[in-house]
Amino acid sequence: MSEITSNTSVPRKRSRKLSYNTTHPLLPWLYLLPHAIFFLGFIVFPVFYGIYISVHRWDPLSESQPFVGMEFYANLFKAGTPQSEFFWKTFINTTIFTVVSVPLLVGTSIGLAALLFKPIFGRAFFRSIFFMPGILAVSVMGILWRWLFENQSGLVNIILTEYLKLPGIPFLTTEGWAWVPIVLGTVWWTIGFNMTLYLAAMNNIPKAIYEAAEIDGATGFQQFRYITWPNLSSTTLFVVVTTVLASFQLFGQPQLITSGGPTRSTQSVIMYITEEAFSNNQFSSAAAMSFVFGLIMLIFTAFQFWLQTRDLRGSKK
Amino acid sequence: MTTQPRIPQPQTERRRRVPRDIPRFVVLSLLALLFLAPIYWMLSTSFKPESDTISLPIQWWPKNFTLENYREILTSPDGNIGRWTLNSVFTSVAYTLSHLLLCVLAAYPLARMKFPGRDAWFWFVISSMMVPGIVTLIPSYIMMIQLNWIDTYHALIWPGVSGAFGVFLLRQFFMSIPGELEEAAVLDGANSWVILWKVIVPLSVPVLVTLGVFSFMGSWNNYVWPLFVVHGDMQTLPVGITSFSSRYTTDYGKLMAGTAIASIPVLVAYLIGQRYLEQGLSAGGSKE
Repeated sequence: MSEITSNTSVPRKRSRKLSYNTTHPLLPWLYLLPHAIFFLGFIVFPVFYGIYISVHRWDPLSESQPFVGMEFYANLFKAGTPQSEFFWKTFINTTIFTVVSVPLLVGTSIGLAALLFKPIFGRAFFRSIFFMPGILAVSVMGILWRWLFENQSGLVNIILTEYLKLPGIPFLTTEGWAWVPIVLGTVWWTIGFNMTLYLAAMNNIPKAIYEAAEIDGATGFQQFRYITWPNLSSTTLFVVVTTVLASFQLFGQPQLITSGGPTRSTQSVIMYITEEAFSNNQFSSAAAMSFVFGLIMLIFTAFQFWLQTRDLRGSKK
Repeated sequence: MTTQPRIPQPQTERRRRVPRDIPRFVVLSLLALLFLAPIYWMLSTSFKPESDTISLPIQWWPKNFTLENYREILTSPDGNIGRWTLNSVFTSVAYTLSHLLLCVLAAYPLARMKFPGRDAWFWFVISSMMVPGIVTLIPSYIMMIQLNWIDTYHALIWPGVSGAFGVFLLRQFFMSIPGELEEAAVLDGANSWVILWKVIVPLSVPVLVTLGVFSFMGSWNNYVWPLFVVHGDMQTLPVGITSFSSRYTTDYGKLMAGTAIASIPVLVAYLIGQRYLEQGLSAGGSKE
């Protein structure tokens, strides 16, 4: 308490550091405690528990869980095991989805933000419309897009056959085509979030630069190319990293739209891991796969950050 | 009005811009129609009798308007939509409130107190955001078995309640509150607990609402975790309707009624929190 009185007598500036809160050294930890219990129990502990599970043979029905070392990890790199075959197949599927969808997701959200950036009649209304699909549950989105792309009776095929007189496409059961509803549905579902991020970033670009460019006679495209795009680089980094991570976690869309078919061609890694755990009861194998996949994601994220920050540094010069 | 001096610049600006805006407006309108079409088709299908859902030519507007799909899906013996809705409401509200409380309590000392280990703990918590969710799915599920939490509300509420993002967001906001306000409260004899609830929290309502809306919608729409830890009557609504999806594979009228019902609460939450939601998202993204 004596500290407080001495603090108030000195000039304001020096009293900014809040030394009075350190009345008891345990007080801050008392505040942290409730969060820390759940954080340590349900986020930190499971990571280590997962390592334990992955090096034992964990069977829900058996009493003992024998230590097996790296066996389940080795299975993923040994040719001929179903684990190695399906893990890498679904890994490639997930990578294809990511490679195709991320440029589409980023590009369309920049385009939409650019269309909506300058004032226009009904702008707030348009923004809400493009944002709205994103609030739907993935299950709603999935069931809806399966219905739209239904082989015979889906709206898309009816339009194709009855109105455009084209042959119908059995989207849900044809390899390759099955990705179309998944990718388009994902664009429809997630575009609003990224668009909002881009709109916010565009608002932070000083208007004076555009006015100067306009006086110099820069076209709309030139303004976008030389002012908007370079000023969005940090937002693009953020959007690309979060979108890639979200794409790697692909689960609900193929689960509900195609059930991973035909012949596992749209099955994602997470779908396969959950199949291994919850349908095959191979929890230890699934835990090992989770770690391998988690590590790949982590390396990829780090690489992406490194790559993009290097580009940023380069373009500044 | 007429006596006001005319400012020529905005006038010419407007006159020049209007024709140039028309193509942009048309493109936006077409895109908006395209974006609304799936939701419209969901509602339209949900009001059609089963025979009309696949009839040709396309019935954009249900010709034989019926509420039968809603009646049947709500009273279906295959699933208890009323119960699932209650589960979703209860777990989302309980999750959101506990999450906010834990994050407020944790962010406060991290933002406003000086103590050894503060920065280390903060970075420890923040670094957990780098761990992909799939890494903890299997061990967390096994923990639920061992805690006997399968098919209970505990499994839906507690495992996700201590996120790092909420702590980060609140800490950033708490740090921006001027220290003078706290000092004044201390002079009035307030301790840290009083300062937290009488000074910090009332000043943080916008960010708390933002975090609350995000948490509610995240919990409501959560799919992977509830899919595996709860079954039957304990399911949440968005997961529950997928069990109709495997049963009524061809009866899209009923399925669309189910998805419409599952979307209404989150649509209402969106309309209430729309402003905060987009603001919070913008703030989060431009921080980077």
